Amino acid sequence: MSAYWPFIVIGLFTGSIYGLAAMGVVLTYKTVGVFNFAYGAVAMFCAYTYWELHDNWHLTAWVAMPILFLVVAPLMGIILEALYRPLAGLSAEVLIVVSLGILAALVSIVPLIYGTQDRQLQPIFPTRTFVLGSHLHVGYDQMGTLVISLSMAALLWALLRRTKFGTATRAVVDNPDLSDMIGVHGDNVRRAAWILSSIFAALVGILISPSQGLDVNELVLVVIYCFAPAVLGRLVSLPLAYIGGLALGIAGSVLSKFSNSGTVANIEAALPYLALFALLVILGPRLKEVGTATRRLGVAAVTVTRRPTRDSTRTWDVVTHHGHHGHRRQHRHHRRRFDRNLGVGLLGFALALLVPLAVPGPRLLIIIGGVIYALIALTLIVLTGWAGQISLAQFSFVGVGAFTAGHLAGAHGQHFVFAVLIGMLLSAPLAVIVGLASLRLSGLYLALATLAFALIMDNIVFNRSDVSGGVTGITVARPDVFGISFTGRAALYELVVVIFGLTAVAAYALRAGPMGRRLHILRDSPLAASTLGVNLTVTKLVVFTGCAMVAALGGSLYGAWSQAITPLDFMWSVSLELLLLVVLGGRSVISGAVIAGAVTAVQALPIPNEVEKIIPLTIALGVIGLAQEPEGTARMTVRQTLHVLTVLRPLPKRRSGSPTPVPTPVPVPMAVVERAG
Amino acid sequence: MPDDIPVLAADGISVNFGGLNALDQVSMSVPGGQIVGLIGPNGAGKTTMFNVLTGLQTTTTGRVSFKGSDISGWPTHRRGRAGIARTFQRLALFTRLSVQDNLVASWESSHAGGVFGRGRQQRQEKVRAVLELLDLEALAPRLAGELSTGQGRMVELGRALCTDPSVLLLDEPGSGLDVVETAAFSQVLRTVVALPERPGILLVEHDMALVMDVCSAITVLDFGSVIANGTPREIRADSLVRAAYLGDASVA
Repeated sequence: MSAYWPFIVIGLFTGSIYGLAAMGVVLTYKTVGVFNFAYGAVAMFCAYTYWELHDNWHLTAWVAMPILFLVVAPLMGIILEALYRPLAGLSAEVLIVVSLGILAALVSIVPLIYGTQDRQLQPIFPTRTFVLGSHLHVGYDQMGTLVISLSMAALLWALLRRTKFGTATRAVVDNPDLSDMIGVHGDNVRRAAWILSSIFAALVGILISPSQGLDVNELVLVVIYCFAPAVLGRLVSLPLAYIGGLALGIAGSVLSKFSNSGTVANIEAALPYLALFALLVILGPRLKEVGTATRRLGVAAVTVTRRPTRDSTRTWDVVTHHGHHGHRRQHRHHRRRFDRNLGVGLLGFALALLVPLAVPGPRLLIIIGGVIYALIALTLIVLTGWAGQISLAQFSFVGVGAFTAGHLAGAHGQHFVFAVLIGMLLSAPLAVIVGLASLRLSGLYLALATLAFALIMDNIVFNRSDVSGGVTGITVARPDVFGISFTGRAALYELVVVIFGLTAVAAYALRAGPMGRRLHILRDSPLAASTLGVNLTVTKLVVFTGCAMVAALGGSLYGAWSQAITPLDFMWSVSLELLLLVVLGGRSVISGAVIAGAVTAVQALPIPNEVEKIIPLTIALGVIGLAQEPEGTARMTVRQTLHVLTVLRPLPKRRSGSPTPVPTPVPVPMAVVERAG
Repeated sequence: MPDDIPVLAADGISVNFGGLNALDQVSMSVPGGQIVGLIGPNGAGKTTMFNVLTGLQTTTTGRVSFKGSDISGWPTHRRGRAGIARTFQRLALFTRLSVQDNLVASWESSHAGGVFGRGRQQRQEKVRAVLELLDLEALAPRLAGELSTGQGRMVELGRALCTDPSVLLLDEPGSGLDVVETAAFSQVLRTVVALPERPGILLVEHDMALVMDVCSAITVLDFGSVIANGTPREIRADSLVRAAYLGDASVA
């Protein structure tokens, strides 16, 4: 046993930080109903800021820490609260998209502000060790971290349990309107929760970065570890979340005793994600989403709030789920537009076939990449935009397709079709497993399950050298289908354009028919759909699996296009970027996929460094701004663009006592009701 | 099917919400071609009963049978396909679809192969017939999300009818209707049970005039237990019902 103690000490130390992080995540979820995917990014941002204050400006810790904890972190919390306030009551999908957008924004803004040089954050405690018992060496920094973490955890617990603030948070999340009426200021409580959560994040950041290194991506990832303990606490229990964090830290540390390399090391690296996945499966039926009771339901249709008439041509409010959809006239307009869409699409397709005549060489190769990306994006449009399910693992399925093609397509791509089919068949059971993990779970939990799945694939499957060839990757042959070689750029281009075109037409036809209606009713009212005879489980699984299989097809093409693929091509962050680009392009329209593909193609072009640097941030901000618009940039007119830009307008004065003006309910014409008379 | 077997029957249903008996040994049945009322004060367990019958709520004890066979273990969608249709107290329309598409989606959901576009002809006929029956033709192209509550309730009823139900569970369909609409509505209910398929209706309703008017039998729930069972006339005369439902015996 004594051989384990050093590992347990290390485990307690890291675990106590995970515990803090998990509590921070749970705090905003249970008070605001927002699961903060960007928590790690907030921690990372705070750690960088501390480094800047302490190591670059050479402030002592006694000055830098108060600045961090009393100014920077609270400011962060206030900004987050302001970002989420207008989204209260919207679907889980919108909230997740926004939080992923914030994650991306913070990740891309840090290098812009603080530069990209290597840096190391010094531990805030002395690193000397003392000896416990006979021969157990414990670092003062480890001890200090544990003490701080435990006391902060106890403090937060006491705050929520023993003070009026605690009661207020429960009131606010249970029923915001009612709590407003009894004098609990919902906005203040929510802001306090965000500030507290951000302070915790800052603490996590400066405690964990000395041992993990001050690296943008690493820090974001480390904090994702804490999602598993947070789920253990069913996203509402702070003590369970903290204990889960400790347990995870110890388990990981003890496991590292056995893992020098190979499978055990992989499992150790993936442990937090395996735990997250397992917990989602086990706790699945008992998990529920906070705040759903307060979410505006279809009932809101009783009083259709319509924006002033000038705005009634907006067709992109639909995401709010309660019939912001304007009028019958508009509905017809909608119908007609569908046909026009098909026309525009076919015309675009015909023109796209001619592109190789105009675009030579390397540029064409970039465009091919864009088309393949659009094909992959299309699967996410069906899944997210139409079925309302968020996937953070689409590129994991792409990877399955790509590596399968690499292994099976043969030296000259003569077995390419065979490889494509096998890739699709391999991805299907994987998709079913992920789908089953989130069977009864909607929005948030599917997003978490797919995130866990993507990270598991990264750490256990894609990094195996017999799968991916390790960091050097493997090569994939260009396809040779039924004697036709697609080695040349133009030929490959025509192939991918035709495949994209066929897939898009198929998706379009599905959308307009019974299948599209099925997806619609699944999002509008799953409960009603099930009483009518829809098997929700099967429907969700079919959609998820179908999308995964097409993504695998895209993966085979991706491999053939790139010819050399490495695990890095299919990392979870690539899936995240895909989701962001799809939201930006428009997640409910096929043209959104084309835009997503075009954006990646443009990024691959040689562009000036200054422009390239700000592209990720622009995308992230665009996503935050457009999270509520399912048609993204795809259908924006100039006026709508201006409307979106109004987010830059200063906030109206905060409500003090008097309610904010809500859009006037437009009475529904009664003419038809009078039929009975 | 012989007339003596009820379309839908519940036998000894109990539901327990963490110590609270939401339903306690409730038994009731709905024969084909008849309207049965299920009444009781708020919180008596009426909607819980609906959830039990449609498989949305698991029971502690008891069984549900449909046309004589035990369906207690069936999932919701299977019951829907078999012919149990319901409406919701809080409207659950497909708000972003037109009224017409609400009905079409319902038909497709409840008929085999519907999602692959099979049976297009029957579907169109059915939807047209239901729109006509409920006088919804003028609303057909409107988005369901922009209807009034009264209209929405009619669409929910239409949506339920499109599944070719053997039994309809209607959860407060009359709330939000005015006097004229209610009169028309009771006529619609009578028309529905007189359809050749002779579907039964289980009606949860607070409008006593409507219930007494259309129902052939009434079950009264209070605190999760059945306190009375009988014809409208018997129920009206029952002192227990008066005490539970109307507060005391002071009402004539």
